[in-house]
Amino acid sequence: MLEDIPVLSLIVWLPLLGAVVTLLMPKQNARLLRWTAIVFSVVPLVLGLLLFASYEPILGGGAYAEHGTWLSVPLNAEAWSASQGVTSYRLVFNYLLGIDGISLPLVLLTGIVSTMSALATVHIHKRWKTFYPLFLLLQTGMYGVFLARDVVLFFIFFELTLLPMFFLIGIWGYFGKEKAANRFLLYNGLGSAVMLLGFLILIATLGFSATQTAGGVELVYSGSYDTMLANLADPNAAANAGGAMFLSGNLRWAAFILLLIAFGIKLPFFPFHTWMLKVHTEAPPSVVMIHSGILLKMGVYGLIRFVALLFPGQIDSWAPVLATLGVINILYGAILACAQKEFKLVLAYSSISHMGIVLLGIASLNETGFEGAIYQAVSHGLISALLFLIVGSLYERTGTTRLDELGGLARSLPFTSGILLTAGLASLGLPGLSGFIGEFLSFLGLFDTWKWLTAIGVLGVLFAAVYVLRGVLAMIHGPMQEKWIGLKEARFIEALPMVALTALIVLLGVYPSLLTDLMQHGFDGLLKELQTRVGG
Amino acid sequence: MATVFSQYAWLVPAFPLAAFAVLTAMGRQQNRTGGWIATIASLASFVVALLILIERMSGNADDYNGSFDWLRVGGTQLTAGYEVTNLTSLMMAIVTFVSLLVNLYSIGYMKGDDRAAVFFAYVSLFVSSMLGLTLSDNLLIMYVCWELVGVCSFLLIGFWFQKPEARAAAKKAFIVTRIGDLGLLIAILLLFWYMPGHALDFSSLHNVFGTQSGLISTSLTTLIALLIFLGAAGKSGQFPLHVWLPDAMEGPTPISALIHAATMVAAGVFLVVRTFDIFAAAPAAMDTVAIVGAFTAIFAATIGLAQNDIKRVLAFSTVSQLGYMMLALGVGSTTAAMFHLFTHAFFKALLFLAAGSVIHAVHTQDIREMGGLGRRMKTTAWTFGIGALALSGIPPLSGFWSKDAILGAALDDRPWLFVVGAVAAFFTALYMARLFLLVFAGKPRGSAEAYAHAKESPAVMTVPLVVLAVLAVAAGFVMTPFQDWLGPWLSGGGEKEDANGVAIVVSIVVSLLGIGLGWLIYGGRGAVRPDVVSSRLPWLARLLERKYYVDELYDLLFVKSLGRLGQGLRFFDEVVVDGAVRLAGSAVSALGRANTRLQNGQVQTYGLVAIIAAVILVLAIAGRRFW
Repeated sequence: MLEDIPVLSLIVWLPLLGAVVTLLMPKQNARLLRWTAIVFSVVPLVLGLLLFASYEPILGGGAYAEHGTWLSVPLNAEAWSASQGVTSYRLVFNYLLGIDGISLPLVLLTGIVSTMSALATVHIHKRWKTFYPLFLLLQTGMYGVFLARDVVLFFIFFELTLLPMFFLIGIWGYFGKEKAANRFLLYNGLGSAVMLLGFLILIATLGFSATQTAGGVELVYSGSYDTMLANLADPNAAANAGGAMFLSGNLRWAAFILLLIAFGIKLPFFPFHTWMLKVHTEAPPSVVMIHSGILLKMGVYGLIRFVALLFPGQIDSWAPVLATLGVINILYGAILACAQKEFKLVLAYSSISHMGIVLLGIASLNETGFEGAIYQAVSHGLISALLFLIVGSLYERTGTTRLDELGGLARSLPFTSGILLTAGLASLGLPGLSGFIGEFLSFLGLFDTWKWLTAIGVLGVLFAAVYVLRGVLAMIHGPMQEKWIGLKEARFIEALPMVALTALIVLLGVYPSLLTDLMQHGFDGLLKELQTRVGG
Repeated sequence: MATVFSQYAWLVPAFPLAAFAVLTAMGRQQNRTGGWIATIASLASFVVALLILIERMSGNADDYNGSFDWLRVGGTQLTAGYEVTNLTSLMMAIVTFVSLLVNLYSIGYMKGDDRAAVFFAYVSLFVSSMLGLTLSDNLLIMYVCWELVGVCSFLLIGFWFQKPEARAAAKKAFIVTRIGDLGLLIAILLLFWYMPGHALDFSSLHNVFGTQSGLISTSLTTLIALLIFLGAAGKSGQFPLHVWLPDAMEGPTPISALIHAATMVAAGVFLVVRTFDIFAAAPAAMDTVAIVGAFTAIFAATIGLAQNDIKRVLAFSTVSQLGYMMLALGVGSTTAAMFHLFTHAFFKALLFLAAGSVIHAVHTQDIREMGGLGRRMKTTAWTFGIGALALSGIPPLSGFWSKDAILGAALDDRPWLFVVGAVAAFFTALYMARLFLLVFAGKPRGSAEAYAHAKESPAVMTVPLVVLAVLAVAAGFVMTPFQDWLGPWLSGGGEKEDANGVAIVVSIVVSLLGIGLGWLIYGGRGAVRPDVVSSRLPWLARLLERKYYVDELYDLLFVKSLGRLGQGLRFFDEVVVDGAVRLAGSAVSALGRANTRLQNGQVQTYGLVAIIAAVILVLAIAGRRFW
């Protein structure tokens, strides 16, 4: 049934429709605008869940793929002599959407976190009619990133997330919002430029295909990801055979490093991390939920989809570099998180530490590690969304999230504090909650090849206990200050996403097969390629 | 033989888990009934556990195993399962029994607390995860439950969260035990990659390390065993990871009983017993376990001599007794270790609950402000006395038999460890005599008003004391040198430990000497003045009172240096890393200003980058041939 409707397109474009709808609404009616945004966030989530229910890992997502040609630019066919029988010579921009075991978990994450964040927008107090269209536009961008199967389309969606994000930080943020927004744009713009360069190399080489038709040969450059994978595997493809479209070793390395930096900035890894600190502290919490919960995961996704899957040889020889970077991220982030006085910064540095674990998973170059990386991405998305949801609710009541100004909140806000403690425990990797599975799989994967590095990385788990407990307990335990007596407990609309996210975190911690079964076969091609390398 | 009840073993942890879910969902409306919900759940667990135990005792029942797929790792399916053996059925019975009594007792102790429902929810989860740990058939699920046990003890130690000490103690307990947990986690990673078929279940471990030894090299086996022991040392409060256990006294007293008797600290010993085949295959690891255990036993016993908080004395006694259990494991006797764990569960739960009854009555934990309470609280005094005698190793109480089994095993294996154990036994008897006499005998030293108000606790608290006192007397008879029933049952037949006359005589003599000396000093006759040591060797008394300054040392070595490292890195991150970014940023915006003179504003930076990128796009496609 799902195969018969363009379900992926619906997921991508429904939020944009929502953005248009909100634009037609009266600007004073915050409630109406908010509920419209919630509805348009829920529908893609429901579609995503239906996809999840009917997805068969063994078959892949082929049945749901959508193909279309969006723009076809004729190139100078005279470059080819007539004897070669070239009938057409074009640059094609495709509209290709697809789903597989790697992107489906992240699509679901996007749906869940967006919906929860939409509920959390009750704390947005001004210019709703500007806020909600941007908020929904951002969702279209994110879904597009995870579903696009064409590098040009991917790039456009990727850029589409930057612009709304820039305004969401810059208009609705706290005191240093303009600076934070600028820093965000500067870094991500730089990342995009680097990414584009990398993609161009790919289009010019792996993206080239020649099709034999009745009239002659059709030559096409496109950004189609599947074409690239096919060319990569085919030793006779132009990209592997020398000539103009030859993807030489040097070019491979150039593209690999460009894309690594582009997605590394997004992840972010040390030393490209400082931009996200500002975003974490200055953006409104409902936006940070999306930023920390989903946008950082575009880095994870890009690293796996374009860096690992397209450059097996390069990643194979750079695995120790990535693993070392991962360990640095884990420890650097964790130790700095232990030294912060502002809870939002504790969380920001903890994100750096957790993304280090993702790097470990990727560097392990085995199925376990890749699954761990994705699991960790999903789990961290849910956990950090929950943490910033709570931060938003607390800030609304206390006007501060500085550790030395809070304390004893469990007395006046027992429910919120309980959820905060649970989220903290999930973040420090407590088994039974989702954080543990991602960490465990990543460590397990890397341990096969890099035992000492893993052992050092595992220390991060200890530091995580230190900074989480230090931060969370400083807020909720200990003596309570006079001024926090009589704070009002979370309202229903705040409690609802808190309970939902907590339930998901528990579910993924207790029954991990739910997600790992999905990822089965997602890495078959890469693993086979790596296998032959080890063998040869 | 058919297993009727064993297949329902999953019910044992399920009941308290259900109680936890109910109590959490209902929230604070359950403050009055919460205790009963938890108690009924643990009663149900106890009944099932008892039925299983009886079933297993009545004949040579087969081990029962049930499991389902839990997590797919690469091509390997990891399962979650439970396994009923003689060992696990005994452990389940201990845990459910102690937790039943603790729940019952807490109904009285926590009466009037406005977070009583939360308390019982935590206790239920605690018991459930401990039972899960006991039942699990593989190391990974055991690790999951192991961590849950840790987090529950963290929650309960910090239950009175408004006290800064409670917050600090909870944090310390979690972090210090987590150091050990890292060891266990790395051991699991090692086992996963080196075990044939990535098997982590205990029967495969038994096959590989026990019967087919040689499959994994000795040095690797030693490493794995030591890492597992690190985990066990963290949970079971072995030196040098013992520091959290005495601070854990900040929690409500019934929790101390639960942690010290049946759940948290027993987990470490149980882990070593469960993975004993690995240790047995690594002599160096066995030495380490034995030496660490013996050292912890005597180290903590000497500290116990100089503490003035009733619960702290008991806490150090727990550390010391766990040292004995590790000593037993290190000299190769799992039976003696489990036996001591079994008897210790009863008399230590008894001592803590009786101490709680005292604290409940006089509202202080300082033994210098007590005295003469025996006349006001007869049941508490009698039961505490029985517990103290059992702990001191006076025959025929249970503690005597189990301690004797350990000392006997040590004498057979390494006589010098026997000497250490015997000296520690002397100190044990001495500090327990001191504690009992200072609290219950003599004249009241605290305020007269407090003494006048001190009265016996309600029946809901004293009944558990009496039940435990009976067991503290009788539990030892399951394994005496004359009638050894437990040993063959646990180890599945096989060798019987020989009675060792020397060990029996020595352990009785040192216990009597300890009690006698205690009587001379604190008995009120003034035969030996209490300050006999502190007046002559003040540094020694201070060293013991300050617990050998281990906490201070850790603070200096780890806490302070981590803080300094954090501050240093903060500076580095803000000035160097971010500084470089700011520099690059201002360079780019200068460039941007230069190129976009017509427009001012922030969004244009973005536009600029996009334009540059577009130019590159065109150039690249046009110039692709020159590459």
